[in-house]
Amino acid sequence: MEEPVIVCENLTHYYGNRKIYENLSFEVAQGNIVGLLGKNGTGKTTTINILMGYLKPRGGSCRIFGEDVQHISPATRERIALLLEGHVQYSYMNIAQIEKFYSAFYPRWNRDAYYGLMEKLKVAPGQIISRMSNGQRSQVALGLILAQNADLLVLDDFSLGLDPGYRRLFCEYLRDYAKAEGKTVFLTSHIIQDLEKLVDEVIIMDYGSILVQEPAKTLMAKFPGETLEDIFIDLTGKY
Amino acid sequence: MNRMIIYKEWLKTRWALLGVVLTFAAVTFYCFLNLSKVVEIRGAELLWEALVEKDTVLTEILKYLPLAAGVILAACQFLPEVTHKRLKLTLHLPYSQGRMLLNIALYGLAALAVIFALQALVSALVLQQWVVWELVARILRTMAVWYLAGWAGYLFAAAVCLEPTWRMRAVLLVLAAGFVALLFKSEVPEAYNGFFPVLLLYVVLSVSLLYHGVARFKEGKQD
Repeated sequence: MEEPVIVCENLTHYYGNRKIYENLSFEVAQGNIVGLLGKNGTGKTTTINILMGYLKPRGGSCRIFGEDVQHISPATRERIALLLEGHVQYSYMNIAQIEKFYSAFYPRWNRDAYYGLMEKLKVAPGQIISRMSNGQRSQVALGLILAQNADLLVLDDFSLGLDPGYRRLFCEYLRDYAKAEGKTVFLTSHIIQDLEKLVDEVIIMDYGSILVQEPAKTLMAKFPGETLEDIFIDLTGKY
Repeated sequence: MNRMIIYKEWLKTRWALLGVVLTFAAVTFYCFLNLSKVVEIRGAELLWEALVEKDTVLTEILKYLPLAAGVILAACQFLPEVTHKRLKLTLHLPYSQGRMLLNIALYGLAALAVIFALQALVSALVLQQWVVWELVARILRTMAVWYLAGWAGYLFAAAVCLEPTWRMRAVLLVLAAGFVALLFKSEVPEAYNGFFPVLLLYVVLSVSLLYHGVARFKEGKQD
């Protein structure tokens, strides 16, 4: 049987004495879109950092495409598109410079996907990213992710800075794209709206543990008439 | 890919490099303009006398320029990498992380080397009009320690930028201050000739501080 794209086993992490979670285990199967949902501070970004090898967990291990995340090879990194929280990018570059830079690293680079999105933004190739609005910057980052044409997309709080209209559009676009191309997506978000149309599987975290990990349809069926956001609030309690 | 790594560094540093080059040009010009006036009014003999009998190389005004250039260049290259933890983007690129870091550092060290070499060349060409080559060489050997301080300043400033915790940054700053102070301790020309290779070795070894900072960043160390 094919190994899942992401496998995390018994992850335990603390910041000082503060427990983030203990014995957290989950898997992401090839072609699935999995959403890791949780309130602020429950460890969503911590999990992404561990997955990408930017944080050594106190215990447990993770593998991506069969490789230990502490030692991901360049060839495997080529297969992973990473969107950092806050859509952080090389903002001192302009639209054309950043495309030129990244395209040299990724053999499957899809220039048209990036410039197609930039055309919709009505931004000039010479426009410096740091001088763009938050929303525009987020779309540049998303354009770069899509152009990379990776097998696995890891999106940390992808909805941050997107207006509701664009967020819905992006969720629909991402789902169609991932399903058509057989991409695996692992994303975190603190905005639950629109996600029920995007994700195949949800992992809902609370402080210290996973509350729910199951297919979105199964979860929704257990709470008839409720949206994913309602279910999230039912499970985790109001803020 | 190597070309693109250089391209990214160039985008970050081009204006700073221009500023550094212009400052070097202006201060070097000012230094030799002053010396040329002395030669014009009192003759080159006065320069000879000062060089032979006094603890001076006549170019002391240039002393701290390389150090300042090193620190500025390191800040321009590495601060954008650590701001918003952008280093994650760089380390995620499908390229050896060790080679990536080395290439970034080599870009800075090479840029400084070119600027320092140009200044040394101009200094040699101007000075040899007034004094014999042996005295020019004495001045250049003394200036070599200042250039070494420039490289050391670059590497220590880069290490401070890459280090993720303030406590270790403070340790690095103390180390940097101690090493740089050692390089500027003696006012005597050519005082460092005997152990210049050892100092150079220390500077080369301090490249490892960059790897140490990145390793700690990858472990998730933070304040």
